[in-house]
Amino acid sequence: MARNSRLTDLPMRGAKDKKISLADRWKSYIVHHRITLRSAFKKLLMEPVQTLLTVTVIAIALALPSAMFLMLKNVEQLGSGVEASAQLSVFIKKGATSQQIKQVQKQILDLPEVWSVDYISADQALQEFKALSGFGQALTYLDDNPLPAVFLVQPIRLGASGSNQVEQLVTTITSFSAVDEVLVDMLWVQRLSVMTDISQKLVLAMGVSLIIGVLLVIGNTIRLGIHSRKEEIVVVKLIGATDAYVRRPFLYSGFLLGLLGGFIASILLVGSLLWIGQSVSVLAALYQSKFDLTGLGFSGVLGLCALGSVIGLCGAWMAVMQHLRAIEPK
Amino acid sequence: MICFDNVSKRYSTGLEALKRISFELSVGEMAFLTGPSGAGKSTLLKLLMLMERPSSGALLINGKNLMRLPRSAIPNYRRQVGVVFQNHQLLSDRTVFENVALPLQISGYPPSETGRRVRAALDGVGLLDKESHYPLTLSGGQQQRVGIARAVVHKPKILLADEPTGNLDPVLSAEIMALFRRFQDVGVTVLIATHDLSLIHNLDHRIIHLADGMLISDGGSASGA
Ligand SMILES: Nc1ncnc2c1ncn2[C@@H]1O[C@H](COP(=O)(O)OP(=O)(O)OP(=O)(O)O)[C@@H](O)[C@H]1O
Ligand SMILES: [Mg+2]
Repeated sequence: MARNSRLTDLPMRGAKDKKISLADRWKSYIVHHRITLRSAFKKLLMEPVQTLLTVTVIAIALALPSAMFLMLKNVEQLGSGVEASAQLSVFIKKGATSQQIKQVQKQILDLPEVWSVDYISADQALQEFKALSGFGQALTYLDDNPLPAVFLVQPIRLGASGSNQVEQLVTTITSFSAVDEVLVDMLWVQRLSVMTDISQKLVLAMGVSLIIGVLLVIGNTIRLGIHSRKEEIVVVKLIGATDAYVRRPFLYSGFLLGLLGGFIASILLVGSLLWIGQSVSVLAALYQSKFDLTGLGFSGVLGLCALGSVIGLCGAWMAVMQHLRAIEPK
Repeated sequence: MICFDNVSKRYSTGLEALKRISFELSVGEMAFLTGPSGAGKSTLLKLLMLMERPSSGALLINGKNLMRLPRSAIPNYRRQVGVVFQNHQLLSDRTVFENVALPLQISGYPPSETGRRVRAALDGVGLLDKESHYPLTLSGGQQQRVGIARAVVHKPKILLADEPTGNLDPVLSAEIMALFRRFQDVGVTVLIATHDLSLIHNLDHRIIHLADGMLISDGGSASGA
């Protein structure tokens, strides 16, 4: 042991040069943040079981509503694709002249939302009906053709608000003279839309309650951390640590837990989407449809990580506010 | 600098640990606080560290009543006070260096300056070669000296020490006392609680003698009680 303590080397003039410049203070502040972040990370690694447990719970709680949200998004997309391919049947008033019919056809074709128009004359319609219904013989006894002429209108692919646009198209075409009625098989599309609406609300409610759960889980983990470091807190407070200084490591822990949770949730989601995506492609190929599953995307991963971090920070803040003030040097 | 004006302290147990204590320490003065075990020495120091509050009377630092200090101003006050604790109060999961650096870090010293100051303080207590050790691997006396280094590293205006030489041999004790005197020489107000009468009888310093929570005598080193 070195007993040759050289007391003379201790800088003694210090009692006077106590002022620390603002730049130095800032530099030291930044360094302290970095040190705190690093040691918060180390502390998480030092308690792997507790950390893994917390992170997993957070990841699942974040992944579950996100997965459902993605599913809904895909269903909606599927729905809008169907709406877009919905054909409109435009029935012409009986007794319309061929002149009028021509004009209606032109009017419909001029609409920007319309892709193509097929004309089925009353006679053609009757022929088709005879062929398909099997009432062929009976119908020849009718002296008048009961069927109207029809335009089959194919709208262009419509965007997300497809349902509204189709309805608008129907109203527009109905207003043309010589048009009797416009029919569109929209019922199941509307049902789908209502169902996705309800599901969206359910997912939202579930997401909110899971987020509250995550807040509590992180808060509890941080509370345990605060209690296991009670003595340290007392000592640094006695040496003159501010509340912010004492809070910082716990806020960083919460932040890291949330960030890790968000990241793992992203991995879970991306993994399962890849897995499900293969089956979906096969299914779509069977229907000769080209449907691609909408994935999380890079922004989705970032969003989940950000969400996790914010929730982690908030949970830690709650725990710190509740428990840190009570720990005072005694 | 430090002024006790009729200060009493009654713990929640009903025990009156300090009874109407009045004395004054001026800037740069060094005094010893003595008295038998249970006399109230630690309690008196705790009042100065704001670990306990007086039940009655006024405690003034630089003419300001400590009890009027808002909560937000407490950290800044504590940074002006260096404390050597009776039970060291070192952090066991940090090295000696990190322990001693703590007051500097908390006060916002630049990292470049931290190393130099910490080593100077450790050198002052003869522990420069232990900077990367953990406190629990050190002897009681070494731990105490780490606590002393931490108390002086940021050059506080007031230095309080509770039995700083309790675990030290006479030679080391004398060195530590010399260190405290050097602080007094540069204007630090020093108050040291100790049983070690043999140590302070050799020094010519003011001695405040407590017994059973009362101030028995206050004066030169000549006699004690
Ligand atoms: N937190 C507390 N609650 C209740 N009573 C206390 C508390 N701390 C100390 N006391 C009592 O106050 C009296 C003075 O204690 P104090 O620690 O100030 O004595 P001391 O002079 O420092 O003794 P020592 O030399 O043994 O350290 C003692 O009788 C003790 O039992
Ligand atoms: Mg004591």
